[in-house]
Amino acid sequence: MASYIVKRVLRSFITLFLVVTIVFCLLRFMPVEGYFNNFDKMTPEQIERQLDARGLNDPLPTQLVRFYNDLVHMDLGESIKYRPGVPITEILAQRIPMSMLLGTISLVLALALGIPFGRLMTRYKGRIPDHIGTAFVVLIQAVPAVVYYLFIQMYGTSLAGLPLLFSRTNLATYVLPIISLAIGNIAYYAMWVRRYMIDESNKDYVKLAIAKGVNSRTLMSKQIFRNAFVPLVQYIPTSLILTLVGSIYVESIYSIPGMGGLLVKAIQMQDNTLVQALVLIYSFLSIIGLIIGDIAMTLVDPRISFGKKGGAR
Amino acid sequence: MDKDTIISVKDLHVKFTLRGAILNVIRGISLDIHQGESIAIVGESGSGKSVFTKTFLGMLDSNGYIDSGEILFRTDDSGSDESIVDLAKFTTEKEWLTIRGRQIAMVMQDPMTSLNPLRTIGKQLEETVLLHHKGMSKEDAHKRAVQLLTDVGINEPERRCKQYPHEFSGGMRQRVVIAIALACDPRVLICDEPTTALDVTIQAQILKLIHELQQKLNLTTIYITHDLGVVANVADRIAVMYAGDIIEVGDVNEIFYQPCHPYTWALLSSLPQLGIKGEDLYSIAGTPPNLQMEIKGDAFAPRNPYALKIDYLERPPFFDVSPTHKVRTWLKDPRAPQVEPPETVNRLGEGRL
Repeated sequence: MASYIVKRVLRSFITLFLVVTIVFCLLRFMPVEGYFNNFDKMTPEQIERQLDARGLNDPLPTQLVRFYNDLVHMDLGESIKYRPGVPITEILAQRIPMSMLLGTISLVLALALGIPFGRLMTRYKGRIPDHIGTAFVVLIQAVPAVVYYLFIQMYGTSLAGLPLLFSRTNLATYVLPIISLAIGNIAYYAMWVRRYMIDESNKDYVKLAIAKGVNSRTLMSKQIFRNAFVPLVQYIPTSLILTLVGSIYVESIYSIPGMGGLLVKAIQMQDNTLVQALVLIYSFLSIIGLIIGDIAMTLVDPRISFGKKGGAR
Repeated sequence: MDKDTIISVKDLHVKFTLRGAILNVIRGISLDIHQGESIAIVGESGSGKSVFTKTFLGMLDSNGYIDSGEILFRTDDSGSDESIVDLAKFTTEKEWLTIRGRQIAMVMQDPMTSLNPLRTIGKQLEETVLLHHKGMSKEDAHKRAVQLLTDVGINEPERRCKQYPHEFSGGMRQRVVIAIALACDPRVLICDEPTTALDVTIQAQILKLIHELQQKLNLTTIYITHDLGVVANVADRIAVMYAGDIIEVGDVNEIFYQPCHPYTWALLSSLPQLGIKGEDLYSIAGTPPNLQMEIKGDAFAPRNPYALKIDYLERPPFFDVSPTHKVRTWLKDPRAPQVEPPETVNRLGEGRL
């Protein structure tokens, strides 16, 4: 297993290198106008000087080597346009904790509600709780997220009287963003838990367990649920890690100083260093999430083992 | 109900609702199963063999139900009438838990999928042991699990206990399934096509194992199969099913050598062993009846070359051929014309099987 993980990590580094390099090069092909706020009023000499100063006129390989050299020294550079002169790490250090905090709470909430909902729907399959649950899942999946975000905002502030604008120190302002972030995941987990549990309960081993006299309650919780949860285990680490990406809509609705939309803004502003740093971080985290997910799978499912061939049927 | 009868089914009707229609899947079966015997239920796919035995465990699919009839079951060997329960009246899971596993156990068709893939073999056995011996210690349950694995012929049971199903071959898994079935000392063992998913050499081993265990534990075994070769080796009695009814029942020799129902003739004629080189193998013309329709008369009549007029009008009663041999066909009525079984069936008597 150890050698498998080493191989996996090395391969991930290659992926990461490719992603970052490609994005780096693509950014360099953008028109130079984007680098300046008052491009029209600048003389060609001024432009050239600026580009030279930022190293943008150097040959691509030189720029690339410089970037990786800085990276090895843990230097992500400074923002060039979003907040000129401020180190990227500082910008991230301010914003990441907020997004992660809200994201993690909402994910925990989603798991804590979505899983029991899914189990309830399975237990009452084809009856009223299942129909209500299915209606909820379909509604959430079908309606664009922005629409129910706005509904939550409207009714949350007018009926429940919760504050609209986010404030770090006022816990009441956390409620609406967390609900908004969680509601989609609640539907997601309820749907998949239900689906996998129903799949499992139609399997032969469940029939054998019934025939040998296991009562249905024990069977549901100890065997069907556990086995149904295996495929979900793989995705939980990724979803947890990716909470730091934040949510564009939710964070902008409630003015939360998080990561949501930062990448989009950085790309629009052609803030190369910021884009590079964000792409690097997001890819790195996704890859880590997948590796952890795969390792988690081997822990819960004995049929899956790393390295050995033909372990599973 | 006789003292040596363990299960007595009386005029059992099972129906299924399917997309608004009602299917008459079991149409008035009556059958006595004797304590300690080995009976095989044979019939083609869709004849209702599995559904019939599932009613003994309350394991019909959710759209199926017992419409009428009785399934009397003797819950102990005392022979007293108090020990008789009617399984057809059971409604709650609590009632069924007194039967499942500890009275009637089941071995299913496909050992590859019959075990929980995420639990060790030992755990699955111990769980079963503990289900029916409440208060037994973990160590004792483990000892019993090891003993059970030894009983079904698995080597190194201690090591095997720690393994998962995917580390076992098909035949070995079926042995484990049998061990699980026997974990609670059941009195009846239903084997639903126990060897269909196994290769031929393993088939023989598994059948031998079930047979030995049956002798040793004085089990009543019910085999469900469409393989008459399997039946010939293991069964004391055979019940032939067609379209949800038992149309002929008798000792093995009676069914093989003096079959009386035209369907049994047709079934036996289809045995590839009876084919003649160069000639096409026999197959029964037509298809089984649509179970949505009310079947009038003998269900086999439309496919039966020997059908009489009355076969289309009235359901034949059981005629006794011998004290152990009963058949549902008007051909056995004293008024019916004498019909000889086809030539192929007579070849069975020459010991071709």
